[in-house]
Parts: sequence; structure tokens; C-alpha cells
Amino acid sequence: MTTLALIYKFLIQILPAIQITLIISVASIILGGLLGAALTRAKLSSHWWWRAIANVYISVIRATPAIIMIFVVYYGLPFLIKGWFHVSIEGWNRMYFVVIALTLLFSAPVAEIFRSAYLAVPAGQKEAALMVGMSPWQAFIRITLPQTFVIALPNLANAIINLLKEGALTFTIGVVDMVAKAQMIVANNSGGFAFETYGALALIYWVISLAIDKLVSLVESSFQKKRQAIQP
Amino acid sequence: MSLDTNFMAQVFKTAIAGVPVTLQIVLVALIVSLPIGFIFALVRIYRVKILSPLVRLYVSFVRGTPLIAQILIIYSAFPSFLATIIGKSAFSIDPINYAYIVFTLNSIATLTEVFRSALQTVDKGQLEAGLMVGMAPRQTFVRVILPQALVSALPNITNATLYLIKNSSLAFIMSVKDITAIAKTQAAFSYNFLEAYLVVWVYYLIIAYAAELLFWFLERYFSRFQRTTTAKSFNWHLFSFKQPTTTVAAVQYDPKKELVNHAHN
Repeated sequence: MTTLALIYKFLIQILPAIQITLIISVASIILGGLLGAALTRAKLSSHWWWRAIANVYISVIRATPAIIMIFVVYYGLPFLIKGWFHVSIEGWNRMYFVVIALTLLFSAPVAEIFRSAYLAVPAGQKEAALMVGMSPWQAFIRITLPQTFVIALPNLANAIINLLKEGALTFTIGVVDMVAKAQMIVANNSGGFAFETYGALALIYWVISLAIDKLVSLVESSFQKKRQAIQP
Repeated sequence: MSLDTNFMAQVFKTAIAGVPVTLQIVLVALIVSLPIGFIFALVRIYRVKILSPLVRLYVSFVRGTPLIAQILIIYSAFPSFLATIIGKSAFSIDPINYAYIVFTLNSIATLTEVFRSALQTVDKGQLEAGLMVGMAPRQTFVRVILPQALVSALPNITNATLYLIKNSSLAFIMSVKDITAIAKTQAAFSYNFLEAYLVVWVYYLIIAYAAELLFWFLERYFSRFQRTTTAKSFNWHLFSFKQPTTTVAAVQYDPKKELVNHAHN
């Protein structure tokens, strides 16, 4: 029982740092989602150069390890900004760099998910909307987009959980998130109770992942209910 | 604004010593976890008592926690656990063994899911048809279900391998001397971190694309029975503007003929 009590004790100590993880995750989900949508638009574009740019970008990002991405953004972005605009951004809050790196990482899988979901919506839906007099933009916003979203949801949940896990590497550039906090606790105990501390850390992430899974499947089933045929 | 290209070339040369280490971790993890993942998938599909919920819990845990947490648990907790069994010698184990353990455990979970979904994509009628013609259930599984399941599993195995390659960059936390670790120590002397990580990035891109190419060939090989022979199929598009391929093939450029013609002229 002492192990459980210790895990609980460390859980309480680590938990306050959860807000950094959540802020980073939510910010990169929103920004990465927007970038992913833009990439989807590029991939479905009729100009081949847009498609080529999007394809190259996605395949490079897909082959990039998260930690290398974080490091390259952290060391490379100040370098580029200094070279182009002669402004030093090295004093920025390090969370910004993590958010930028995770946005780039998140946008590639999201673009693929959005694209396959968009193509899965039957073309007849859009045609019917145009038939009844909607403008193409209206047809997209009111008819195609909601259906795309529902189809994309299960894969999106997977991508978000992956993002959350990649976000755990934030500590490598010195942001005090949950992992850094756990390492500090272990260091304070001079290396003792490592299993209990990191176990507590893993538990927190596990619970968040399960919650995302559950939430998404709830949203999905509530959307599916609306898709039922008209009762006679 | 300029990158230290001399330093980059230097890192490029020294970091190549880390490539075999990275590949070794990936290969060992894959080879060990493929059969285990397959067995776990069977356990889940046939709902083996006691084991099935355990496997489910294991997969959920590994997929729900970041790799870094798993690394920290194994790397910091496992040695002291081992020391209680085999004594002080546990602390002098080569850290690459811990990397093997972590990445194997991690990819077992992903591959379990991959095989499970692949085996479920095979239509039940295939099994019934196999039993119908008098094959034993085991025979049907090996000869009919398995080849089809493998084909549908391959793209996901490719993905799992790519994840493994990318994740293996975290082995430096366990003080394994892989590409990232070598570049990092090189950069620490002169604080040229950007150059070092750009080189590492290039290395990972090369490895990942090579793996993707390899799996593309594998996929082509294993799905050869699914390929349709387009040449023999009937052209159903009665009013299509496409010309039959045979007429195109008939017109061939013959350099000898042309030469002769020129001579006559």
C-alpha cells in the first residue's frame, strides 16, 4: 500500500504543472488544425504546384522526429528571424517555440485526415446543396464541412493523443511541465522513488488520453444520432 | 546570418557512427515485437480468458502514455529492480539493452492493434469458404486468412516502423550513443546546436525514406496476387476517347530504318 500512497503523493505534486501541457496542447491543436486545413486546400487544389508543395511538406514532416523538430525550431527560428528582420527573439517564452514546433508537427497528419474525410463525403451532398440554390461557400460551410468533421473525428482523436504525447518533450528545452516537475521530484529525493514518481506521471497522461478518447466517441455518437433517417 | 558549414560536414562524418545504433534499435524492436504483437492480436480476437483484458490494458497504457514517461520508468526504475535479483552488476549493463526493452514494449502495443485490425478486415466468408472446401481451420487460417491479413497490415506496419525510427531519437535520454546523442555532444563544445540538429534531421529523413521505399517494395511483392491484369480486361467504356494500347505499341521508332531512308535521300 505504501507504493500507492507514494504515487498519490507525487500525483498531487506533479498535477499543478498540467496547465502548461494543456495550454500548449490546445494552442497547437487550434493552430495546427488551421494550418492542416490550409494544407488540405492546397492538396485538393487544381494547380499542381500547390499540390507539390503540400505533398513535400507533409512527407518531410511525417519523417521528422518530434524532438528534432522542437530543437530545430528552438535554435533555428531566432536565427532566421535575426537574419531576416534583425530582431532578437531569443528572450521569448520558450512555450512559444514548443507551440510552433507542435503546430508544424500536428498539421501534417491533420491535413491527411481532413483530406480523406473530405473525399469520403459523397459528391451528391454538395451537388444537392448547389441545386437548392446555395452558393458554393454556403454549401461547403453548411453541408460538406459538418459531415467531413464527423468522418474525421476518430482519426482526429488519435492525432490529438499523439500530439499530447509529443508535447511531453517540452521539458527538453527547459519549460517546467509535468515531466520536468517529475524529474525535479526525483532529483530532490536523490534518485529515490523514481518508479512511483514516473508512474504517477504516466497515470496522468493515461487519464488525459482516455478522457480525449471518451469525449470524442461521445461527440461522434451524438453526431451520428442526427444522421439517422427520418422516422416514418 | 550564416551556418557553420565546416562544422556541419564534421558532424555529418562523426554522426554516421550513430546510424548503425539507431538501425539496430529499430530492427531488434521490430523483430522481437512482430511475433509477440501477432500473438497478442490473436489473444484479443479469440477473447482468451484473463489474458485478453490484460492485453487490452497493456495496449491502452502504452498508447496512452508518452514514450518519454515509459523511458523514464524503465530506465530509472528497472536497474534498481534488477539489482535486487542479480546484485550490483545490474548497474553496469549497456544502456542500449534498456533501449531495446523500451522500444520493443512500445511497438508490441502498436503492432497488436495493427494485426488486430488487419485480421478483422478479412471477410468471414473467406474462412467459411475455406472450411467448405474441406480445409482444417488451422489450414484455412494459414493459407487463406493470413496472406490477406498481411497485405492489409503492411501499410500500418510501415507506419509503425516510421514511428519507431522517429521515436528512437529519444534513446539519447538513456545515454545510448545514437545519431542524436553524437550530434548533441559535438554541438555542446562550440554551442552550434542548430547546425548539429539540421544534420541529424537530414539523417532521419534519409533513414525514414529508405524504410518507406523498402516497405513499398514489400507491399508490391505481397499484394501481387491482388494485382489486376489490365491488359486482358475488356474495355467497358464504349465511347471512351482512349485508344487501344495495342495501336500505340505498334508504332515504334526504328533508327536503322531512318538511317537507310536518309541514305536514299
